[in-house]
This record gives sequence, structure tokens and C-alpha cells, in this order.
Amino acid sequence: MDSAPAERAPAPAAARDGLLPLKILVSGGFGVGKTTLVRSLSEVAPLSTEEGMTSLSDGVDDTRVVPGKSTTTVAMDFGRITVDDRIVLYLFGTPGQSRFWFMWDELARGAVGAVILVDLRRIGDCFAAIDYFENRGLPFVVAVNDFPGTAGVDDDTVRDALALPADAPLTRVDARDGGSCTAALVTLVEYALARSG
Amino acid sequence: MPNYALTAGRTRSARMDLPIEALVTVTELGLAQRPGLSPEQRTILDAAAEPLSLAEIGSLLGVPIGVARVLVGDLAADDYLAVHLPLVGTDGRPRRELLERLLDGLRAR
Ligand SMILES: Nc1nc2c(ncn2[C@@H]2O[C@H](COP(=O)(O)OP(=O)(O)OP(=O)(O)O)[C@@H](O)[C@H]2O)c(=O)[nH]1
Ligand SMILES: [Mg+2]
Repeated sequence: MDSAPAERAPAPAAARDGLLPLKILVSGGFGVGKTTLVRSLSEVAPLSTEEGMTSLSDGVDDTRVVPGKSTTTVAMDFGRITVDDRIVLYLFGTPGQSRFWFMWDELARGAVGAVILVDLRRIGDCFAAIDYFENRGLPFVVAVNDFPGTAGVDDDTVRDALALPADAPLTRVDARDGGSCTAALVTLVEYALARSG
Repeated sequence: MPNYALTAGRTRSARMDLPIEALVTVTELGLAQRPGLSPEQRTILDAAAEPLSLAEIGSLLGVPIGVARVLVGDLAADDYLAVHLPLVGTDGRPRRELLERLLDGLRAR
């Protein structure tokens, strides 16, 4: 083997042992700021990927069985944060329509938890997301988005309206501001840690 | 072009059920075999010089996750790609040590 310094070669796979992905979901109703939050946090321009109904269940078989039939796909945004030299955190915005619940299950599997964005002017829009994560025992933080005219509502009122469990964290964010979004993630991870054995 | 054309008509493979956040990196074998591979496969191997996820590969190629999963699964089965899976405990959640490292990393931002 050549002993010259291999300055250009990518590190061999063995040197990359210990690489670990993590993911956090970003959820809430339509237009609540999910894409904005992912954009504020991601070190790459937020990407979009498609998930297909058939691709999830059975590879690509169905498109072959029915030539010309396209799979039902839905675009989903995601972003990336390189946490340290081994850990990469992905943020996935959950698709808003309930007919895409099937995708949430795949997204939720193994996730650290979820940030659920709330617009106080349309508070009911987040109920489905809260129910989803609560029922599955997945840690979540409720992040009240700083839309105009919503600053006057105090936390207790929000907690009551959302019927939040007493220990569930509640925070305020401006999804356009990376610092406040990072703080929401910190709150979520602290909570997930407090709940882990 | 229908998506399945990318997978050369294969509809099933012994691929792993890779989660969307699974990371891949190119191996030395993958680098050595690269010239004989398809354009899509070469695109994946080139991008995997740095760790990237199944989601990013789907986005890069403009294909649904399911198609990216087949392409990556085949490359991994041939040891052209190394796969780095999430580490979860018996409860299906990320391990405590990992959460601690995540917290440190986020606080340092
Ligand atoms: N004032 C204010 N506006 C915000 C905030 N977050 C998002 N917006 C605005 O709200 C609008 C919708 O934000 P998006 O990020 O597209 O919302 P989304 O949840 O991704 O929307 P869908 O994917 O369509 O469900 C945009 O015009 C944002 O600029 C916030 O914290 N404060
Ligand atoms: Mg959006």
C-alpha cells in the first residue's frame, strides 16, 4: 500500500464509525410556520422530498402492475443540522393533511420528538398534531408562533385551551428567528431527556 | 420517466427497511467500482463522499423516498455504500447519551 498521505481520498468507512442520524419533527396546522422554522434552523437550503403511498408499503411494485399509474406523492420539507463530528440532526416538516397520517408513522419512528407550532388565531389547527404525539408517547414541545396580535395571551390560557399535560413544555417562537427556534429545540431535548430512563 | 425505470426494472431486492434519516457514506469498494455503475448510482456515490441521508438522496435525484431506498439498498448490499442507522433503545427512542450530545451541540450554536 502506498504510504503517501491520502489527502484527497474520502475517509474509509471504518473511520466513519459512530456516525449517527437523529430527527425531530416539525408539526402543526396549515401555514403555521413549519417551513419557515426549518429554513431558520437548517444549514442547507431546506430540501424537499417526496413520499409515495406505494413506495412506503411495497417498493415500487404498484407502478409496474398498473403502468402509467403514478404513486400518490406528497412533498415534505426537511433541513439538516450537523451537531458534532458524528451526529447529524434532521428536521422534518410533517405534511399537514390528515390523509397523510401514514407518513407521520414513518417519520415518528425513532424520532427525538416534535415541535408543534401553534397560531393562537387558529388554535384548533394543532389539536390533531397534539393528539397524535400524545397518544404515541412521543415527547413534544408546543411552540406558540409569534403572529401579530397574539402576544397578549398568557401561557396558562394557552395550556387550558390545548388541555396540555402539566409537564409538557410550552414556549414562544418567532419561526423567522433562528435563535428562538434553536431555543425551542433545546427545550424539547431537555424534556425528552427528563423523560428518558 | 416512470420512477421504476431508475431501478432497472427491479421491483424487489434484499434491501433493508432503511429509515428516511439513515446516513450513507461511500466505501473504498464503491469508489473502485464507480466507473462501471449507472449515472444514478454514480451520483449517489459521489454525493456520499460526505455523510448524507436517504431523504437527501431522494431530493438530489428528484425521486420519492421509496425509490431512493431501493437504489441505496442495492448499493449497500454490494458494499459500495456504508449505512449508518439511528441508535435507539428498547423503547424505540434515541439513547440517553445521544440526547445529551444533541443537547450539547444545540446549546453551542
Ligand atoms: N409574524 C410571523 N410570521 C410568521 C412566523 N412564522 C411564519 N410566518 C409567516 O407565515 C407564513 C406561513 O409560513 P410557512 O412557514 O410557509 O408555514 P407552513 O406551516 O410551512 O405552511 P404549509 O406548509 O402551507 O402548511 C409565511 O408568510 C411566514 O413568513 C412568525 O413566527 N411570525
Ligand atoms: Mg410548508
